[in-house]
Amino acid sequence: MAATRRRDGHQVYAPIRDHAAIGDGRTVALITRDGTIDWLCLPDLDSPSVFGSLLDARTGGSFVLAPNVPFEVRRRYAPSTNVLETTFETATGSVRVLDAMTLPDDDGLAPTRELCRRVEAISGRVPMRWRVEPRFGYGAARSTIGERSGIPVATSGNLAIAVHAWDAGTPAITGGTIGATFTATTEAPATIAMSVAAQEPLVFPTRDDVERRLDGTIAYWRAFVRGSSFPMAWRDAVERSALTLKLLVFAPSGALAAAATTSLPESLGGERNWDYRFCWVRDAAFTLSALFRLGDVREAESFFWWLMHASQRSHPSLDVLYALDGGLGSRERTLSLEGYAGSRPVRIGNAAAEQMQLDVYGELLHAASTYVSARHRLDADIARRLAGIADLVCDRWGRPDAGIWEVRSTERHFTHSKMMCWIGLDRAIQMASDGHISGNVERWTAERDAIASFVESRCWSDARGTYMRAADGEDLDAAVLLGGLMGYRPATDRRMRQTIDTVARELRDGSSMHRYTGEDGLSGGEGAFLACSFWLVEALARSGQVNRASALMFELSSLANDVGLYAEEIDPDTGAFLGNFPQALTHLALIGAAVALDEEAA
Amino acid sequence: MDPWAAVAGGLAGTVALTTILRAATELRLTRIDLPFLLGTMFTSSRPLAKAVGYMAHFAFGLMFALGYFALFVSLDTSGALLGAAFGVAHGLFAGTALVNVLLPVIHPRMGSTLDSARSAPLLEEPGFMMLNYGRTTPLVSLVAHVAYGAIVGAFVQHGVH
Repeated sequence: MAATRRRDGHQVYAPIRDHAAIGDGRTVALITRDGTIDWLCLPDLDSPSVFGSLLDARTGGSFVLAPNVPFEVRRRYAPSTNVLETTFETATGSVRVLDAMTLPDDDGLAPTRELCRRVEAISGRVPMRWRVEPRFGYGAARSTIGERSGIPVATSGNLAIAVHAWDAGTPAITGGTIGATFTATTEAPATIAMSVAAQEPLVFPTRDDVERRLDGTIAYWRAFVRGSSFPMAWRDAVERSALTLKLLVFAPSGALAAAATTSLPESLGGERNWDYRFCWVRDAAFTLSALFRLGDVREAESFFWWLMHASQRSHPSLDVLYALDGGLGSRERTLSLEGYAGSRPVRIGNAAAEQMQLDVYGELLHAASTYVSARHRLDADIARRLAGIADLVCDRWGRPDAGIWEVRSTERHFTHSKMMCWIGLDRAIQMASDGHISGNVERWTAERDAIASFVESRCWSDARGTYMRAADGEDLDAAVLLGGLMGYRPATDRRMRQTIDTVARELRDGSSMHRYTGEDGLSGGEGAFLACSFWLVEALARSGQVNRASALMFELSSLANDVGLYAEEIDPDTGAFLGNFPQALTHLALIGAAVALDEEAA
Repeated sequence: MDPWAAVAGGLAGTVALTTILRAATELRLTRIDLPFLLGTMFTSSRPLAKAVGYMAHFAFGLMFALGYFALFVSLDTSGALLGAAFGVAHGLFAGTALVNVLLPVIHPRMGSTLDSARSAPLLEEPGFMMLNYGRTTPLVSLVAHVAYGAIVGAFVQHGVH
């Protein structure tokens, strides 16, 4: 259970690994193996939480649904969907719970958001209990619970939820909770639905409407999978990654959230807790490549248009990250919550938005190049802006920055940042030669060559036989692998191959990898960074070492949780997930690795 | 007094009323959404309901302005202050009778006190003074209606004969 107390006074929290995610393209709920929803922000992914016991088991709120007797659990997603299927085995019978955020359809008036939990007994009779404990505004907002037309309703400000129970007991309101007990039997499936209203009166759906939408939701996810094209190698892992990325795409804008959560710690009890409910420009190139490779052209177009729209505000400079609606709102502040397993502070907003990170320019230009390579056209305004960004890279590449890992120590000349500046200018030159953009190509070419001279003379170490983390430095960085994957030099190049070998030897920790060596301005350590491990798979495959790459991919696939999801990091010693969850970059890197293995093995 | 001035005032007043209500929902003061409530009388399609609802909302805004005009004519005086006073009465009437009692009875998708076990409401009823949509809803509604009344009154007073 999510709310028993440990001896040191902190609440006990379900392992991050124990969570599955469901969502509707607007928000995401996380569900533990014991059937507790302990994370749900409403109405949108970046709104305050209503169920937030993930970050404070005492005050955060949750939605419990489980047998009232001891049980064993099996879980999976209903095949090719984002609908979770949890099977509870008890001494008196077994019961299956289907959890989904339903999608609206054209028949009937749908609530703003709708969470459906359908209980089907498979055998015997299983005593069940459910308890909805809404705690609006990260547990800090005032709320009232009452009834409308006999339906339990909780309201706070312009947000309200109604809880509907059909064959799931008679809901009782006790203090700040709504709940009931009932017996699940094979004769009478039960359904509990939570309808949400934001800035409008509540919609009370009928049972038929809810169940029709649940069926329609399952059908939609399967159609999404059918409409995608997956590589033969690692198909299941890629399909789950694609479905997870689709959960993290904020449908109203097309932006991709980096993860569904905030402040899940990079080390238990540590201060490295960040809000990832934003869209990072850095993920843009990976996102577009992955979406095009999977055949999700509509999502790719939508994402590119969002990216160009959001970045218009700061043109020609780029912010590191943008809010999911493209607006402001990234000011960082802390909440007075206990934090996951006592990991404080709990932050909302992200101060990295104000950092100087040069690589984002390269990533945006690379994304634009990917977009036009897929036979899409740029309009004149966007073409002008891309040329302006290339000019800005020429002006700024010589400056130090905070780099891809957003260090909060002194800015440095990070090798990866310089490589991405080179890649950005190279893509701009290519787009200009193909007639997509026009600008000062001579200057772009001269500066691109100057960057290459800088990297080859000051970022390469003959003594270590590798590109270093920063110019004239002694530390290593897994991010330099991206130079080989995104085209600074081919992965088969001698220096790049040597770098791949050095990084694989010195940063690997079992199956996983650390991001870098050296300081970053923060106290405490962190786990191994899963995306880096998948980058290494891709780098090995692209450098011709397919067998080594396949072996590592096998090891990495065993690190996924029981439903195929990954967090940002993993503890190499215990296998515990660390950091925000589920993490888009890890799943993007997995897709890149699988595609590389598929292509190189062919 | 010119009835066209009342119509123009009704249009401007409805814009102001709608803006105030919308701003209040963004400021988390209320969940009231009059166009949504009106539109769902005619359709359960959410986008269509919003479109129809806004049209109905503005039509009602013009009709009420003509009602105000009739009162101004019968009193042989007009002005922003008198219009604001009408707005107070209008706001109280809306909260206690119009939206609270009449709308749920005629709205095919909303629960009301006349419902029995045979019916299953699809929409949350407003409650007395629309308090179900948030504690500050009566105040927000009153401010919006006072603004509406004052604008209609000002237009009628200053309208060209």
